[in-house]
Amino acid sequence: MSNRDYLGEFEHIVVLALLCLGDRAYGVTVRQEIEARISREVSIGAIYATLDRLEAKGYVKSHLGDPTPERGGRSKRFFRVSAKGIAAVNRTHLALQSMTVGLDLVRSY
Amino acid sequence: MVTKSFLSQAPRLAVWLVSLFTPYEQSDSILGDLLEEFSDLASKSGMAFARRWYWRQSVRTVAHLIGSGFRGGPWQIAGVVVVGFLLCFFCGGRLEEAVIAVLNFGRHPHDNPYYTWSQAQARIRLIEYGDLVGHFLLSLFIGCIVALAVKGREMLAAITLAFVLWVPAMALFLVWSARHGPFLPLQLITPLSDSIMIVIGGGIVRKIRSAAASRTTSVSDYR
Repeated sequence: MSNRDYLGEFEHIVVLALLCLGDRAYGVTVRQEIEARISREVSIGAIYATLDRLEAKGYVKSHLGDPTPERGGRSKRFFRVSAKGIAAVNRTHLALQSMTVGLDLVRSY
Repeated sequence: MVTKSFLSQAPRLAVWLVSLFTPYEQSDSILGDLLEEFSDLASKSGMAFARRWYWRQSVRTVAHLIGSGFRGGPWQIAGVVVVGFLLCFFCGGRLEEAVIAVLNFGRHPHDNPYYTWSQAQARIRLIEYGDLVGHFLLSLFIGCIVALAVKGREMLAAITLAFVLWVPAMALFLVWSARHGPFLPLQLITPLSDSIMIVIGGGIVRKIRSAAASRTTSVSDYR
């Protein structure tokens, strides 16, 4: 994987949500965090599909928690951003900043 | 205790639908997340709202899982669907012969089986119903084969094949309806039932495999 790989729009949002949540990051909290911050209702399926892709790229790591009764005895899958993932977020941010230099976005649109 | 009573009221059909499409390793996490939010919403906003939310989330989740399943291995799905289509095409034509061969099993070729007109009619009906049942079983079998060939994406392969078989039949029906008026011709029932049986075959394989996967997981957890 080259160091020119950038995160997609939704990947970027999910990784930032994981960073905000820290140790509490699992499907439900990630979904609720995105909904609370950007008012975008996303499905659990979309979250997991993205997290799976990020895990395959090595940007995210996951582990299973203990089963809990409020989940019908099913366990939570916790996620955290890896060092490689943080590098990808920084790279994406830098790229976006570079692309917006000289653009007066608020006044133009 | 309150949470448990909420969990039992989650829409079972939606839970079952999601469980059919989730990858084995994600099944517990996705279903657990949906149930956790469902019981939370049910206690805060009422059962009707929570059930509507659960259905909306389930449909969108299944759509996403189908999309990501296709993106994960489009050529594998396409290959399996082509094989399934060829099996339907070549085996389907042999059905009548097989049914007649089974009905004539042990009968001398020069024997006349018909003594009266009603006996001849009964025999024709037997061949027709035998052909229909044969169609059902063959489609179920092909659905199972297609699902067995793609581990983890059984339902995706079965639904795609069912769709591929059903669309030409539907197109023919529309052309036929445009010419002769809108009513359901009997010819449309066979491809429709074939498609349904293929999906059921895929579902059976999927359920058997996920049961085996959960048994393996629980054994490894125990160790």
